[in-house]
Amino acid sequence: MKPMRIAFLAALLASCASVSKIESGAQNIGERMQVTLEGAWNHVSVPGMGPAQVWTMEGLPVDQLLVYAGIKNDELVHAPQSGGARKDFAFRSGMQPDEIVAMFEGTLTRDGSQFRLLKLEPAAFGGEKGFRFEYSIVRRRDNAVLSGVGFGAVSKGELFALLYHAPRLAFFPRHQPRVEQIARSAKLKT
Amino acid sequence: MKRRAFLAAGCAGCAAIGLARAQGTWEMPARFARPEAASEEGGLWSLMDREETKLRRSPFALRDAKLKAYVQDVACRLAGAHCADVRVHLVRTPLFNASMAPNGMMQVWTGLMLRVDNEAQLAAVLGHEIGHYLQRHSVERLRDAKSRSAFGQFIGMFGLVGAIGQVGMLAGMFAYGREHEREADAIGVALMRKAGYDAAEASRVWQNLRLEQKERPDGGYANPLFATHPPAEERMQALAELAQAAPGGVANETAWREHVKPYLHDWLAEEVKRGQHEESIALFTRQLARSPEAAEYLWARGEVLRLRAVGGDLDLALADYLNAVSAGGAPAETHRGLGFIYRARGNAAEAKASFQRYLEAAPQAPDFAMIKSYLEELRT
Repeated sequence: MKPMRIAFLAALLASCASVSKIESGAQNIGERMQVTLEGAWNHVSVPGMGPAQVWTMEGLPVDQLLVYAGIKNDELVHAPQSGGARKDFAFRSGMQPDEIVAMFEGTLTRDGSQFRLLKLEPAAFGGEKGFRFEYSIVRRRDNAVLSGVGFGAVSKGELFALLYHAPRLAFFPRHQPRVEQIARSAKLKT
Repeated sequence: MKRRAFLAAGCAGCAAIGLARAQGTWEMPARFARPEAASEEGGLWSLMDREETKLRRSPFALRDAKLKAYVQDVACRLAGAHCADVRVHLVRTPLFNASMAPNGMMQVWTGLMLRVDNEAQLAAVLGHEIGHYLQRHSVERLRDAKSRSAFGQFIGMFGLVGAIGQVGMLAGMFAYGREHEREADAIGVALMRKAGYDAAEASRVWQNLRLEQKERPDGGYANPLFATHPPAEERMQALAELAQAAPGGVANETAWREHVKPYLHDWLAEEVKRGQHEESIALFTRQLARSPEAAEYLWARGEVLRLRAVGGDLDLALADYLNAVSAGGAPAETHRGLGFIYRARGNAAEAKASFQRYLEAAPQAPDFAMIKSYLEELRT
């Protein structure tokens, strides 16, 4: 009966998912972050999905932009789903960039996918001293190779970050400039 | 009560069969002919053939001819006349798992290879999987799964690249029923003995895993190995008793360590990245007690402690990093770890020296620019 229950829950969750359009222009995310979009995005909402907003241009199986705005000390960066069998990944306000990237890496590979850090460098984000990183992911479920780019900063003990990944050959190069523009436009309220 | 009595009698029968197998009276079946394509089993073989084609092209496949040939040789020593039908595939996934599909496709995951101490322990796991294959347990399981509309779950047993819904430490290894597991354990021990391995190592595989599993947030009891299947203690005891019936044999620890040495650093790094800190610390601490590759394990444990950073973890991490450097052959990342801790503690001189050593040792590191920025910050 367990697979039936899982299928039922999956169907239930799918029925609860909603997609809304995020228009061009200034958008407030959470209480302290604002970005300016030069084109519309789709915002996918699923109850219990976790603290990040999930945006997409092509649809979730293809690409996703994860928007973390104001993650607090000890807050999980993914939906709690392990049932105690596995350790969760939580943000700590004293984390350094390499530790934050390692935390995201752990989160993105919980399904057995592979993550490879390609570059980590200092970069301003939201007017704060932050970091930028590039990565690749081999997705477990379909062997797809994704390229990714991330931006982040810790401000007043809270984490603000953007992570975008998409299949490397067509979709990532198509949308990376939009994501870089969003990252450059980010402002954090002090 | 009747059902219980029936089950008890069945279990006793299985145990007796298992003991007979372990004592050498069990006979290996002849090689299997390919089933008719239109048959139930033939359909399963075709599905597995297609999955094997995908696996060969998969980015998760570890394509090292030497290591693959070595593991294939261990499988062949166990499989005897069935050797020609067993095709080993090494898969880059930091979880303890091996599986064998009915068409002869055998997967061995890197997380398993990181955790076994010697060739005999690898043989114990492969022998167990070959035991399932020789007894054609998967065919029985297929019929059972079909009757319960659980085909997807059944396919997941073979750890297929595209079919894993839930990946756990022991993803597909214990998906068979209790009797099948006991039978495969007993056959595995018999095959180990026949191939000249010390069968006592089979019990040690599960003892070692139990050490890690106990450190999980749930104490390991949500895992099938330690919950619904033969209880770990019972299983370890049964394997130890089977081994005692005919002691002796080789473990081939030196040969094993030589073959996996080129990959040790990568596998340790992947284990660190799993973020399951307590399990990883238990694994590295156990390996430190017996492995000659002390610097690698000290670095890996230092990394986990630094990333966990609870209580006195940073002091322990610092000690591990320093001991790794003293041991000689420490990975470049050891100096980066030292730099992070010194920097966090305001020890600028030591932080600068450590970061400088890291950049010199790893000029192609992906975080070169980040570390360089720390160096510049420390100089001002």
